[in-house]
Amino acid sequence: MVLSKSEAAAALAEIDTTTRRNGLLKGYRIGGPILMLWSVVWALGYLNMGLLAPHWWGWTWLGLDAVGVIGTVLLAQRGQRQAGVGAQGGPNSLRMLGGMAVVMIFVSAVFAVLRPTDPAGYVAFPGLLVGVIYAGVGVFFARRYLLIGAVMFALTLIGFYGFKEHLAFWMASASAALFVSGVWLWRG
Amino acid sequence: MAQSDDLIHQPLRLKIMAALYAERAAEPLEFSRLKTITQATDGNLGSHLTALEKAGYVEILKDHVGKRPRTRAAVTQAGSKAFRGHVAYLRELVEGIEE
Repeated sequence: MVLSKSEAAAALAEIDTTTRRNGLLKGYRIGGPILMLWSVVWALGYLNMGLLAPHWWGWTWLGLDAVGVIGTVLLAQRGQRQAGVGAQGGPNSLRMLGGMAVVMIFVSAVFAVLRPTDPAGYVAFPGLLVGVIYAGVGVFFARRYLLIGAVMFALTLIGFYGFKEHLAFWMASASAALFVSGVWLWRG
Repeated sequence: MAQSDDLIHQPLRLKIMAALYAERAAEPLEFSRLKTITQATDGNLGSHLTALEKAGYVEILKDHVGKRPRTRAAVTQAGSKAFRGHVAYLRELVEGIEE
């Protein structure tokens, strides 16, 4: 069989598209369980915010975030091993830890600088931030995260304006959406 | 100059080989995942996988997870070599390299 140059270029483009789609689905499969883990962290954190006095919030979140970060690194390493990505620990884990540290420092700095007088501000801000981060990932890399980010952002705003007095419990319930999103990613 | 592989060049078989080649270091791909990646129908994917299996390019693995039957596919060494050769042929064509 003799192919023309344009047929060969089209075949190479098709190979490239298929390989990229495969990589994207692989990324979703690794990201799904991580999202499910964070939905549990999120639910416990917000339940604590609803049940405990404000001076406990920071410590509770610190502990839960530590569990979430360690779990994320372990799940990512396992996922990469299963997917044959190769990177086990090393630069990817460090990047992930670095990214999470940046987010936590940013949240703490925003609270320190702006000092919200309304406790609902403390409750809503992480939800909005998570929504924006996922939406950003969705815009630039993997489209499904755009929808997940938009849902989390919208749920946070609905809770803030609609159920402000029970916002922490509303946010804890919203973690179910995060869990379902994780299942959606994982199933590919 | 690298050689064209007529069996691989068929559009769906090219997608199947590209997906399986990308996963050669990982676990074999489940049929349902391969279907999503290649955007093929069950019947179409099955028949082209059989053609690739007959050529020795693909290995089909059938087992059960609990009571659920599972079909997975993996590229063989011969398949990897043939795919690399075909991609090299395509690249040479596009870049205008000749003997």
